[in-house]
Amino acid sequence: SEMSKDMMPGPYPRTPEERAAAAKKYNMRVEDYQPYPDDGLGYGDYPMLPNKSQYERDPWYQWDQPDMRHNWGEPMHWDFDMYIRNRADTSPTVVPWHTMSKHFFLFLSIMLIMFGLGEIYPSYRPVGPKQYPFNDLYLEKGGDPNKKPPEVIHYEI
Amino acid sequence: MDLPLVLNTSMLLTLATLSTPILFPLLSNNLKNTPTIITSTVKTSFLISLIPMTIYIHSGTESLTTFWEWKYIMNFKIPISLKMDFYSLTFFPIALFVSWSILQFATWYMASDPYITKFFTYLLFFLIAMLILIIANNLFVLFIGWEGVGIMSFLLISWWHGRAEANTAALQAVLYNRVGDVGLILCMAWLAITMNTWEIQQLSSQSQTPTFPLLGLILAAAGKSAQFGLHPWLPAAMEGPTPVSALLHSSTMVVAGIFLLIRTHPLFSNNQTALTLCLCLGALSTLFAATCALTQNDIKKIIAFSTSSQLGLMMVTIGLNLPELAFLHISTHAFFKAMLFLCSGSIIHNLNGEQDIRKMGGLQKMLPTTTSCLTIGNLALMGTPFLAGFYSKDQIIESLNTSYLNTWALLLTLLATSFTAVYTIRMTVLVQTGFVRIPPLTPMNENDPAVISPITRLALGSITVGFLITSFITPTKTPPMTMPLSIKITALVVTILGIAIALEISKMAQTLLLTKQTTLSNFSISLGYFNPLVHRFSMTSLLNGGQNIASHLIDLSWYKLLGPEGLANLQLMATKTATNLHPGQIKAYLGSFALSILIILISMH
Repeated sequence: SEMSKDMMPGPYPRTPEERAAAAKKYNMRVEDYQPYPDDGLGYGDYPMLPNKSQYERDPWYQWDQPDMRHNWGEPMHWDFDMYIRNRADTSPTVVPWHTMSKHFFLFLSIMLIMFGLGEIYPSYRPVGPKQYPFNDLYLEKGGDPNKKPPEVIHYEI
Repeated sequence: MDLPLVLNTSMLLTLATLSTPILFPLLSNNLKNTPTIITSTVKTSFLISLIPMTIYIHSGTESLTTFWEWKYIMNFKIPISLKMDFYSLTFFPIALFVSWSILQFATWYMASDPYITKFFTYLLFFLIAMLILIIANNLFVLFIGWEGVGIMSFLLISWWHGRAEANTAALQAVLYNRVGDVGLILCMAWLAITMNTWEIQQLSSQSQTPTFPLLGLILAAAGKSAQFGLHPWLPAAMEGPTPVSALLHSSTMVVAGIFLLIRTHPLFSNNQTALTLCLCLGALSTLFAATCALTQNDIKKIIAFSTSSQLGLMMVTIGLNLPELAFLHISTHAFFKAMLFLCSGSIIHNLNGEQDIRKMGGLQKMLPTTTSCLTIGNLALMGTPFLAGFYSKDQIIESLNTSYLNTWALLLTLLATSFTAVYTIRMTVLVQTGFVRIPPLTPMNENDPAVISPITRLALGSITVGFLITSFITPTKTPPMTMPLSIKITALVVTILGIAIALEISKMAQTLLLTKQTTLSNFSISLGYFNPLVHRFSMTSLLNGGQNIASHLIDLSWYKLLGPEGLANLQLMATKTATNLHPGQIKAYLGSFALSILIILISMH
């Protein structure tokens, strides 16, 4: 059977009686019920539940639907498909978020800077400049054959 | 004897034999698959694939076969071409040998699974896709194999699909691989535009290859081979059953990225920027993975990070312009890594599902064969002289030390080598030696031949394969032969240093009461904070953004604000302005008369 008209979501509740009726419709207490602000985005009277993912719900409690950690009749979040256990996780991390980002970006920046330094000062096997015979190839490089070439000695004794 | 004919025929026969368990049940109603049939099929394929390998070793015959060309448009044809060269001819027997051992092990490991035949069929599909990738000469055929292994990885990681963590891990694998695929498609598009071909033998460019398509290839390899930045899927993939981890995520699928870089190596060899990028990325990956492996407590995760670290080492080798050495490391790594996974699978099953090494101990006496093979695998991983890992790893480190390269990459790789020794010894000490920390009643029985024979076979491979490959295959580039003694024994010294530190820390940790939380230990345990930072941020922003675009942007903006409501607002504004012009007072009308007469007078001049 279809849902009757009074079980469907409706317009934004303006009076306290409308709020109470909407809270009852969504199976929530009047104190907990908080609709989305009325700024024309089309939420109507759907309750604004806290943005907490399914990861944060107790894994050991006997839920009615264990895979979604959801009981029958409980109001579902507007973006519930984002908060299932295959998607976003909003559970509190062991290390606070700012510490995590600080340490990670510190690590990354140190690595990148050191890689840059390593490019400027590479490591290589020790090599020496190339040594040419015949007095640094004096004649081949166009030296005057009549003149005495400058003596080039590549060794020391 | 027409050697190329025998070569081609036997290679195609290998592939055909592998596809029989898939085709025959479709054609006849009586033939049903069983795990034993599939295992013996893979064994037959392995024995057939030894023929072309022997032909290659004996005579150096290579072959390039084309059958059926897809004439897409008139000047761009996509031939389905297969290249049987050193890489494919050597990797076929290795992959089939490792797969045969893993499938035999899986008949014991997954014996209690109701859909065991479907599991084996998935593994067979994966193997066929991987072999298509290896033998492909055309990038299009390679892409078919590439996507095939990605899909089978998804299906196999989420084998126990009732478990939400397994589904999340499979999604992670598929998404990270997809990001890498973008790079591959980019490179293929560039190749189609500039060189008008996707054939690998036509790829070598004499002048400088522009860096942009090579970045695409490196991105593809980073995605598939879990380099830093696209690495979280590999440890998460341990949610799948152990045979899946052994086959996919240690020996075959994760090397597909490195294999792509090996195949397209002529493009890389003259672009120093791309090579340096490979080197630095590989060095960072190997160190990061080794750091994360130091503090893991799940035996499969330690081996997964070890795989990630070795993949970084292979990327470093590519960055050194040494593709054959990378391939040698792929081949030797396949043996001992698969064996490590099989030993861990045997340990896990024998301890009734326990994967935490803090709850294992003293297993040397209770599972002698398994733990001995675990030790052999760990020694091979560390690069113990004359085991399999030594031939590839030591050569890589020697080439590193004697080349002209980035100093920091060199230091990171040496540090990662010592970390390899540290976490390996830690795993060995905690699992095999020391006091027994397992529950008293465990169904411990390793005497099933389906467990022992694959593990011992792979142990034999881990010991001998390095020696066999290096003695039969002549390298195309001369390895560095002259170096001082200190450089020659660097790898050994660094490993021994790592072993000494590990033994010292293990002894210290057994007397400590409570572990302190320091910054570094937190960084290592939380895998560098990469997972929560990247995953949560990108997922919430993308999903929220998508929801807002779909509902608010499209519905509100396009249908309301720019349509009827916007029109109504404009009309309202116009009418309000127009209404001010005729308020019904004589003063205003006299004013408008005066204004219009003034304008007429001025314009008459």
